[in-house]
Amino acid sequence: MLCDKCKKNEATVHIKEFHNNKCTDLHLCQECASQHGPSDLLSGLGFNLADVLMNVDKIASQMKPSGNENKDTAVCPACHWTADKIAKNDGKLGCPECYKTFSGLIKNAVAQVQRGAIHLGKRPKGVVNASPAIKQHELEKLRKELKKLIAAEEYEAAAVCRDRISILQQELNEMEDNR
Amino acid sequence: MITSSVDQLLKNPVSFLDDSGPDDDIAISSRIRLARNIKGYPFPTAASPQNLQEISSVVTLAAKGTETLGGKEMMYFLPEELSDIDRKLLLERRLVSPDFIRNPQNRALFVCPGETCSLMVNEEDQLRIQAIRPGFQLEEVWKHISKTDDELGCHLEYAFDDQLGFLTSCPTNVGTGMRASVMLHLPGLVLTGQIASTVQGIAKLHMAVRGIFGEGSDNCGNLFQISNQSTLGESETKIIDNLSSVIKQLIQQEKHARRKLLEDNRYAIFDNVGRSYGLLRHSYKISFKEAMNCLSGLRVGVDMNLFTLMDIHKVNELFIAIGAAHLQKRQTGEHSEGDIDILRAECCRKLLAEPHLS
Repeated sequence: MLCDKCKKNEATVHIKEFHNNKCTDLHLCQECASQHGPSDLLSGLGFNLADVLMNVDKIASQMKPSGNENKDTAVCPACHWTADKIAKNDGKLGCPECYKTFSGLIKNAVAQVQRGAIHLGKRPKGVVNASPAIKQHELEKLRKELKKLIAAEEYEAAAVCRDRISILQQELNEMEDNR
Repeated sequence: MITSSVDQLLKNPVSFLDDSGPDDDIAISSRIRLARNIKGYPFPTAASPQNLQEISSVVTLAAKGTETLGGKEMMYFLPEELSDIDRKLLLERRLVSPDFIRNPQNRALFVCPGETCSLMVNEEDQLRIQAIRPGFQLEEVWKHISKTDDELGCHLEYAFDDQLGFLTSCPTNVGTGMRASVMLHLPGLVLTGQIASTVQGIAKLHMAVRGIFGEGSDNCGNLFQISNQSTLGESETKIIDNLSSVIKQLIQQEKHARRKLLEDNRYAIFDNVGRSYGLLRHSYKISFKEAMNCLSGLRVGVDMNLFTLMDIHKVNELFIAIGAAHLQKRQTGEHSEGDIDILRAECCRKLLAEPHLS
């Protein structure tokens, strides 16, 4: 068996990694294994998303199919690309619609290469600035912060945090009502 | 729209090599690129030639109305109509990516007159906006590129998702679509043998280290491009802040390494600078890689005031002049690789004819 990373040497080290309740098998040669820190192989040099998507079958089999959809054989209605075609194109997608069609696959890949799952950067003009997704993200962050503050017995700061949570929650409810 | 002549660019000094940038003794240039796509069109890899032409016309209209791209002074190039040398010249001036000129069909390039801002059309993404400045000034570059992005966005409806942000051809760019990078000259860390562990450390911080011409290019001349790896889950300013703090530390480490070398091994540095100058000044045949490595030595000499008559302008001028396309552009006729090495040596001898080591 060849090394998963360099694809040149014989794999002599076999690593099983558990991440987010998922188990991944890694087969590395001695040299690549020595450079491999715990759970940081994918953030290392030379990594590109294609490696993740090239193993599309492996990842797809790990994904639980949602409802009756079988993402493995899904075809994008806009560009007619399949998961197989994406893998053949170094992990590149066919069109913006592919993000919906292959959402499960992309979610997994994104979780491995990106630092977060929600866009917190600039938005095009005309797109509402504070989206429900951002507010939800903030809310979760504040709730964690509140717990920490209470544990540290910093009650004044906790009160401010609690008020911000209720304002955000109210805004979020209003947004959902208006939808 | 009438296309511009590449000869126009040769008259320009190279914008990112102006020596007026902050920390420019170690940080050569700061660059940001944004990936954008238009709603309703496939990404270039899946697009038909007709799609690509449509995208190109829509973007051309938007670019024309974009003041930060130069307005009426904006330069416009169609890579498939250019000669091989002209295409390579665009790459050597870092206006395009290697892939952009490898497959030039249905692609277009817009460049502002000072070459500080450019826009590639139909590369991996439909729009790749780029802004570049000398020295270490990512925040300044961000201000400029964000303005160009806003201007283009007034004319185009970008493919955007509430949760995932700007949708890009490859999910490694989704979200902000932003890749910010700083080119660093790190001979101190290379000579003291600290570079390997430094590079490994950077990789653990979700940042990438690449060669001077971006993805897939070799490191030469002790030049390294450090860029963010993750594009989703943090705002652009947060990504820039994180990257900047790593760059600041690297600059400090490099300064420290140079000081240490001067204390412990003074003559090793002097020797390196002197040999670099000697090779560039007296060679009759020199490869790009060797010339780049010698220029690194020369740059160290200038940074340490070892030359009386040479300044960083001369080093920067050579930095661009020794590129194969730049050398050939100034000559007539076809040249083999061996000929280019001769032309390169001639160019270096000529430009270094005046200054002397102090």
